[in-house]
Formats: sequence, C-alpha cells, structure tokens
Amino acid sequence: MFEQIDPRSATPLYAQIATRLKVAIAAGDLVPGAGLPSVRQLAAQLRINPATVVQAYRELETEGFVEMRHGAGTFVREVEGARRARTRAGAATRLVRALLAEAARAGLTVEELRRALVDELPGSGA
Amino acid sequence: MTLAIQTQGLGYRAGKQFAIRDLDLHVPAGAIYGFLGPNGSGKTTTIRLLLGLLRPQGGAITLLGEPVPGRLPAILARTGYVPERPHLYPSLTVQEAIAYHRAFYPRWDQRRADDLLAGFLLEPGRQTSRLSKGELGKLMLLLVLAQSPDLLLLDEPTDGLDPVVRREVLTALLDYVSQRGATVFISSHLVHELERICDWVGVMDQGRLVTELPMETFKNGIKRLHVSGVPAEVGATPFALVARQVHDGRHETWIVRGWQGPMRQYIEGLGGTVREVVDLDLEEGFVELLRTARGPVAGRS
Repeated sequence: MFEQIDPRSATPLYAQIATRLKVAIAAGDLVPGAGLPSVRQLAAQLRINPATVVQAYRELETEGFVEMRHGAGTFVREVEGARRARTRAGAATRLVRALLAEAARAGLTVEELRRALVDELPGSGA
Repeated sequence: MTLAIQTQGLGYRAGKQFAIRDLDLHVPAGAIYGFLGPNGSGKTTTIRLLLGLLRPQGGAITLLGEPVPGRLPAILARTGYVPERPHLYPSLTVQEAIAYHRAFYPRWDQRRADDLLAGFLLEPGRQTSRLSKGELGKLMLLLVLAQSPDLLLLDEPTDGLDPVVRREVLTALLDYVSQRGATVFISSHLVHELERICDWVGVMDQGRLVTELPMETFKNGIKRLHVSGVPAEVGATPFALVARQVHDGRHETWIVRGWQGPMRQYIEGLGGTVREVVDLDLEEGFVELLRTARGPVAGRS
C-alpha cells in the first residue's frame, strides 16, 4: 500500500500516507475494525519520522476514518457509502490531474491523450 | 515550544580562514533536525561546540534546557554523540567496548544493548579494530542508544555505509525515537535520507546558518517557475526572486521562495505567463538556496 510513498514530492509524507489509507478504507481493502500498523512499526517499515505517522493517523481520526484508542492502537471506523464514493472519486481526480500535468509538460494534446486512453481501456478491441 | 538545543550569537574562529559567525540555532524538543551544508561549512565544528569539545569565542549554548559548559556533566549523561570518525580503543572487543561505555552512563539500558547486538549481528568477541566500516557504524549507534539519551547528536552517522547497513542503522534509530521521543540532531550529505526522516532543516554555509525551517515549509516555499513574456525589470515581487535565467529572449526560468498560487496574477499583471510551476525536492532546494546565499541575487542570468 505504501510502495509509492515519495519523500521527494512536495506533498508532505503524512498527507501521502493519509491519502493511501483513506483510499484503502474507501475501497474496502481495510474493513471497519481492522487495526492499522503501530506508529513504531510503520515508521520503521517506511524509514520515516514516527511523528509523521502520528500526524497521518491524527488527520485520519479528525476526518472520521479511524479511531485512536489510547494504548490499544488505531482502528478503521465504519465510513458511510457516499463518503467512500467521494474519496474514491477524489483519488481518480488526482490521478487524472497528474496525467494532464505530465502530458502538458510533454506537449501532448488532449486529443492525443483521449485516443491513447480509449486504446488502453479494456474492451476497446485493440 | 521547548527547545532541546539553542544557541545565541555563537561565535568561533579557527585560524584566519574559517569562523562560525553569530549562530542562532533552535532545535525543538522531539524534532528530527537535519543539519545540512557543504563540506567545510561548519557542521562538525558546530556539533563540537555544542558538546563543549571546543570553546566558543562568544555567545551562549543551551542543551536540554541547561547551559553549556556550566552543566555539561548533567547534559552529557543524557546526550548521545556519534562523531564523524568513530573513536574506540582498538584493542577492546565489542563486548569490552560496551562494558566500558556502560560505566559512564547512569541510564544505561543493557537490554537494549543486548537486543541491538543480536539485531545487528555483531560478534561480541571481535576486536573493534577488526570490524568492517558497517559493523563499526552499527556498534557506534548501539553505544549511544543504550545510553537512553534524550538528545542525539549524530555527525554523518551513515557516511560511507552501504545501503543495507544504512537501513539497519536508520531503522534502529527511528525505533528508538518511536519509543522514547528523543530529539535527534543529524548532519549528513545524504540529502534524500534526511528528506525521509527529518521534520526540521537547518542549512549551514561558510560558517553561517543560512536557513532554519520546518521541512514542509522549506520544501513548499521554494519553486522553479517557467515563465515567458515578462519585462527585463520587474521591481519588487510578492515572493523572493532567488534566481532568474533567460533562455531565448522570451522564456525564462525563475527560482522563487515564498511562492503561493495566487501570485500567478502578479506575473500576469506584468504581461507575462506562468507556463509551469515545478516543485523542488530537498536536494534541489538546498542547491538553489546555497547558490543564492553566495551569489549576487536575482536580476541577471
């Protein structure tokens, strides 16, 4: 889940981690009641500052995705369907924006992109 | 904000060429503070001043809330130091080196020492003079973590270590920080490594502290802009124009600090276009920062 974490990105690490977890929760990869890795485990696994993990978990808690139980750990909460859909849509939007920015840098036109996308989509008969 | 390290107007001169001037450091308690700077910029000298190993010519130093050198014994009992070059008695075995260090530290945690010894796969009976560079690096970290320090001063702790050992060392360090919430002051050339773990950055150049900021602020404020159609004279800008490079008359690259999205309007107001705003990572930001700290600012390419 955290393979793509990029410390060099301008998006702070805590936000990257929080986003990954939100999308996983919205997708149902992390089910209500599931425990997140401990701060210590995740910091060691990703070789990042433990404070960064705490910051990510706090953001998830503020937004209602998880519950931090003192001494016990951090657990996924029930998230309503509409909210999950919004989170997933947000992830899709971010992907498309990144693609568009990259395309603009490469000087590709929208039409070229559209054609490539249609060709690559499953069921396009290509 | 409680500070684990604070210096005010710290000054030190060694010979004619080199001096630390008016150094004001602020390292928040609990931070992992990356201390960056080119070779010879004064990082090691600063660390040695903090520890009372060099005598400053001016200014004040406070570590863990207590003055240096007045309260040094109490401070050093709570401070772990990994020097640039490890100093261990070469005739001692690993086990003897551990026992020797243990005697100096009232809060020595033998269990942590044993765990790290096993985790790092160090042979207790081997002479320290016969350790590889990687093994030496691991032993040095073991020795400071077993002291149960509240403050760690690490001078290039992973310099020259292979990637596998570097990971082991950093993981052990982060594990300690997770458990104890210690403050870490770490100097390194490996900027990408610091980018991962640090939440504060201080940059030294030619004996001066050029900048000191939370990592996020440092990285967010500095951008590379690709602009076109701006006049040669731009006057006062709402951001700091750090460098300006003209490519082919119309197209220019600007390095700016303190950038915020709405500032596009300022450039458009000049009749120009912002073609792209590129985020810089820590290394690029660091390099650009040094360029400006040294060179003439803005205006010309």
